[in-house]
Amino acid sequence: MRQRWLLTVFVIFCGILMVLPIYFLFVSAFKEPNDVFRLSINFSHLTLDNFKAVLETNILRAIWNSFFVSSVVTIVALLFHSMSGYALARLNFPGKNFIFGWMISTLMVPFTVIMIPLYMVTKNFGMANSYLGLIVPMIFNAYGIFLFRQFYNEFPKELEEAAYMEGLSIAGTFFRIVLPLSKPMIIPLTIGFFTANWNNYLWPLIINQKEDLWVVQVALANIVGGGYETSWSIVLAAALLCALPTFALFFLVQRHLVEGVKMTGIK
Amino acid sequence: MFKKKNRLKRKEALTAYGFVLPNFIGLTIFVFVPMVYAFYVSLHQWNALSPKVFVGFDNYVQMAKDKEWWHSVYNTFIFTIIYVPLLFGLSLFFAVLIHQLKSRYESLARTLFLLPFAITSVISATIWMFLYDPRNGFINQVLKFFGGHSQQFLGSTNQALISIIVVIIWINLGYNMMIFLASIKEIPTDYYEAARIDGATGWKAFRFITFPLLRGTSIFILVVTTIGSFQVFDQIMVMTKGGPANATEVSVLYIYKQAFEFLNMGYASALAVVLFIIIFVLSLTQLKLYTRKD
Repeated sequence: MRQRWLLTVFVIFCGILMVLPIYFLFVSAFKEPNDVFRLSINFSHLTLDNFKAVLETNILRAIWNSFFVSSVVTIVALLFHSMSGYALARLNFPGKNFIFGWMISTLMVPFTVIMIPLYMVTKNFGMANSYLGLIVPMIFNAYGIFLFRQFYNEFPKELEEAAYMEGLSIAGTFFRIVLPLSKPMIIPLTIGFFTANWNNYLWPLIINQKEDLWVVQVALANIVGGGYETSWSIVLAAALLCALPTFALFFLVQRHLVEGVKMTGIK
Repeated sequence: MFKKKNRLKRKEALTAYGFVLPNFIGLTIFVFVPMVYAFYVSLHQWNALSPKVFVGFDNYVQMAKDKEWWHSVYNTFIFTIIYVPLLFGLSLFFAVLIHQLKSRYESLARTLFLLPFAITSVISATIWMFLYDPRNGFINQVLKFFGGHSQQFLGSTNQALISIIVVIIWINLGYNMMIFLASIKEIPTDYYEAARIDGATGWKAFRFITFPLLRGTSIFILVVTTIGSFQVFDQIMVMTKGGPANATEVSVLYIYKQAFEFLNMGYASALAVVLFIIIFVLSLTQLKLYTRKD
């Protein structure tokens, strides 16, 4: 019993250590520049001035850009990946195994290896420095297709048969019956795709030079490297502002995060 | 009757092609073509503006003599050798411990460990640059409080890489721990009860039941984190840009600089091709090693 308590105390202590940097982010963003390196909090000297300074940069625009790009990629990717996964799991057509193998083989290619030619290809399509360039190349990956195929392999056949009896076409059955019942796969992938794209730094850094189209990662990196080092309170206020959307998402979907780990992580 | 069946079959195939087509085209244009194109460009000298000049394998010859490149490969290996076992060990350690807690504390601990996962790589870099501040940073304040000396951290050639490793472990620990925890929960409790009758508890139970049954999960985590560690970029780009004195310059950062700062597209592509081969061979060997029947 005593051992159990010691263990609990130790684990929670380590957990608090893990959260400590985030705590410092929160409180330091409200401190006056001279107080920022003081470990204690001087409550009479907390201020919102840092945020006023941050709002003069383009950070809100960057947060919107990230939100827009991540949402569009996620929605289009889910649609395309579920369609492909369904076809590969359920429908018969010549060349099926070849197409599946072709798609899966792209999983072996790490992004960093193809970033240079991908930049060239995207630029040749005239998509550099535009939303399209940020969005389109990020839609396609075999990961989602693979997981949807797995999911539809175990999907009960009776529903589709009933739909065919009712005279629905294959496409109609998929969009009206199967897709709405695919939530167990759609929810974790929505979280996964959205956060992966929200976190993307290297690709937006390469493909876009226009300040209007900076995503949140690029904009924050510019503030950090932009000679603000002397005023850490402003830099941290910017970082906190950028962190708020994902914190909100985190507490909203935490339960699904656990399920998602199970679904996408191991199987 | 037979004709009708044939028509249905053709309709099914047509729908299927329609379903598969967007991804097939997309993956071809945005993954497959770039892969082939990378090798093609690597045989040229090219600054992205003027026409390509074919130089054969010159870029690969140049690479062999490029000390900065091999130094970046060395840094990447050092990063991997420290980062992967540490992340693996800590994730497993805390997963096992948290599994022992009562459910109330378990969910609290899970949230605490997973919280850093909710911020992005650049934010994590920002916070830790603040904490690592060589003059007034909190970590140095704590060191001084306990009678230690101020450290340079990101400004020191000896400490910069390990300081960055700490940040990346911090942000990824919770997620990997959750994966372990999820598979620990799938182990039937009968196993442990049977083991207890035989006198195996604590470390023995972990050694002979938990760890062997986590084999699949362990392989998954090891392979994924190793591949990831060979592509590390974000935090390094923000925190040190490869410095001081190239102490944190990893391969991807060097490729990025060659391509997008010096505009040596051909040479950078050759580096990328070699990086691909390294990652490919490494993950294949890992899979072979771990899945071998013993």
